Amino acid sequence: MHFNPALLFDYWPLLLQGAWLTVQVSAFALVIGYAAGVAVAMFALMPGWLPRLAAGLYIETLRNIPFIILIFVVYYGLPFSGIRLPATVAGTLALALFVSAYYAEIVRAAILALPRGQFESARAIGMSPVQAMRHVVAPQILRALVPPSTNMTLTMMKESAVLSSITVPELTYQSLVVQGNTFAPFEVFAAVASIYWLIAIVIAEFSRRLERRVGAAQIESINRNPIAERYLSLVARRA
Amino acid sequence: MTAPPVLRVSALTKCFFGTAAVDDLYLDVHEGEIVALIGPSGCGKSTLLRCLTWLEQPDDGFIEVTGKPFGRELTNGGVVRRHSRREIDALRPKIGIVFQQFNLWPHMTALENVVCPQVVVLGRPRVEAVRRGEEQLARLGLAERMDRHPRALSGGQQQRVAIARALAMDPALMLFDEPTSALDPELVGEVLSVLRSLAEVGMTMLVVTHEIGFAANVADRIAFMDRGRILEEGPAHDIIAAPREPRLRNFLDLVLANRPHAIPGTRINKTE
Amino acid sequence: MGFKLAYLLSILPNLVSAAAVNIRLALAIMLLALALGTALTVVRSLKIVAVNAVIAVVISFVRGTPLLIQIFIAYYVLPAVGLDLSPEVAGVSAIAFNSMVFVSESMRGGLATIDPGQIEASTALGLPPRAIWLKVVLPQLFRRIVPVLINEATIVVKGTALLSVITVVEVLRRAQQIASTSYRPFETMIGAALVFLVINLVISLSGKVAEARFARARI
Repeated sequence: MHFNPALLFDYWPLLLQGAWLTVQVSAFALVIGYAAGVAVAMFALMPGWLPRLAAGLYIETLRNIPFIILIFVVYYGLPFSGIRLPATVAGTLALALFVSAYYAEIVRAAILALPRGQFESARAIGMSPVQAMRHVVAPQILRALVPPSTNMTLTMMKESAVLSSITVPELTYQSLVVQGNTFAPFEVFAAVASIYWLIAIVIAEFSRRLERRVGAAQIESINRNPIAERYLSLVARRA
Repeated sequence: MTAPPVLRVSALTKCFFGTAAVDDLYLDVHEGEIVALIGPSGCGKSTLLRCLTWLEQPDDGFIEVTGKPFGRELTNGGVVRRHSRREIDALRPKIGIVFQQFNLWPHMTALENVVCPQVVVLGRPRVEAVRRGEEQLARLGLAERMDRHPRALSGGQQQRVAIARALAMDPALMLFDEPTSALDPELVGEVLSVLRSLAEVGMTMLVVTHEIGFAANVADRIAFMDRGRILEEGPAHDIIAAPREPRLRNFLDLVLANRPHAIPGTRINKTE
Repeated sequence: MGFKLAYLLSILPNLVSAAAVNIRLALAIMLLALALGTALTVVRSLKIVAVNAVIAVVISFVRGTPLLIQIFIAYYVLPAVGLDLSPEVAGVSAIAFNSMVFVSESMRGGLATIDPGQIEASTALGLPPRAIWLKVVLPQLFRRIVPVLINEATIVVKGTALLSVITVVEVLRRAQQIASTSYRPFETMIGAALVFLVINLVISLSGKVAEARFARARI
């Protein structure tokens, strides 16, 4: 088995281009998807059974089908309705759609976890629902939103790899191109996996910092007694 | 020629799942009065308060605050018109409410809790809102604790912040939902003195409480509520000393049996 | 060219028959992942510093790279090191490896929720470590992570759709084959989506039923 990174020398720009597109697609899908998710969550909180049912159907459908199939549905469905979009745009929209269902659940859960009295006291003093959301609800749920949201964003970045199936020239697509040219799968996928890994680590670090800023730091209790630690912890300590 | 009562409730009805929590209720509260609303649990006291701030929408009946209709009104053509959300929100600052759990906003300091609604709802300039907020909090004895967050305040202090928050909006009427229940028993005296100081400046108040002694000490009038209706009301001491309604008598007997000295100077009439 | 519901209905039986492949593969993956994941957790619990460090790196890799890339590695790279696997086996291995990490991490999370007082009590009563593991910790652990595992099962099922990219003939691949001859890709893809939707909803619902029954069985 030979490992020859020099084989990739000519192809690094292509891979980096792909990586950059991955980052861009993820960023756009994050913004659009989160906005859509908040909208769906707000809709689901409206009075009556119909909004919750409709939102529930939306969320359950998007969560239970594989993303690769969702991409194809969007990709083939858009021309159906007469809209012609380039693959990258269609793919970004599909990713945003996919992720909006998860963000909607996260936002809805965070809002429901807040005691009702908070919203009620804001309304009782004369604030409009929008004012109550802005001044009382949103600042409080921010803390609860950050960890699951950053987790989902990481998942979304990884899911963007599937966009290669509709020829979006992101990192995975480029990896297949390079692999087809060099027939050096080990080098290619080692490089590509490392790039993804690096992006993931950056996202994880960013989310850690954001969590600390918002005050969502979770302190694992390590002051349990040693007997229980022996069974209930997988952390290996140097003796 | 009398001024309209600060609060006039007529024929108020609110049903949940077929049962009337508030059933054709009539109540007047005049300016400067303190009315205590007592009754067994489940009688609808809290529902009534929630209707008065439109946190629950009554099914029938009318509410008037300083003569202005609130929430629903009877138009000239005899038709009942429901107010828009904006109309309701416009009158809400006039009805101050202090919740049982206080519901202070934990991400804001005490001062900010009092300042924010003034700025956001009433549109007061921030400088003035801060000045009035500081004034209110100081008057309630919280001058040194204005910059603390609610979690750094004791229960009694939190309640006073909640009171200041409502008072800063210049309400015509203050509603109190069980002001003694969330506090340690020895702090009841403090709540009493706070309410008395408010009464001294002429604030009109409606206090829902299950503590008869508290009601007798604080209120001018007492209204007894049971199963959604006000069965008896009148001057505080008369109600306690000589209740006429049999259910009220039972209620007083039950409550005072545990604490016969709760109301000094009253006899519990067990015969008849 | 409008949406033809009749066409969708006509291809559904074809798609459903292909779904048997997905279900079969998903089952294999889940069983493998459970077994390997438990084994991995046991190894981690031995708390050998060097071993746990290596495991930590592996976990970070698996959680930080896309599943599709992991599948490609199993399909393209393993033959280069002499391990020539069929597309199905390669795909199942990749997804099972991915799930194994997840199972182990869930177990780690589950362990943290077990009341340490029970371990203290068991030790004080003189139970040997093996008995504490088998009789006290593991039963509670599995009960706790069942909802998480059900969710992971739906993720595994969705993962099997990716195997179409490495030529495994399952639902999506069959749908693509149908679409290429019928020129009605939209209906075909909707059909494939429906098949997965039904499979995953059945899994989730059975999970909830099982959970309810577990709750009743508790003392």
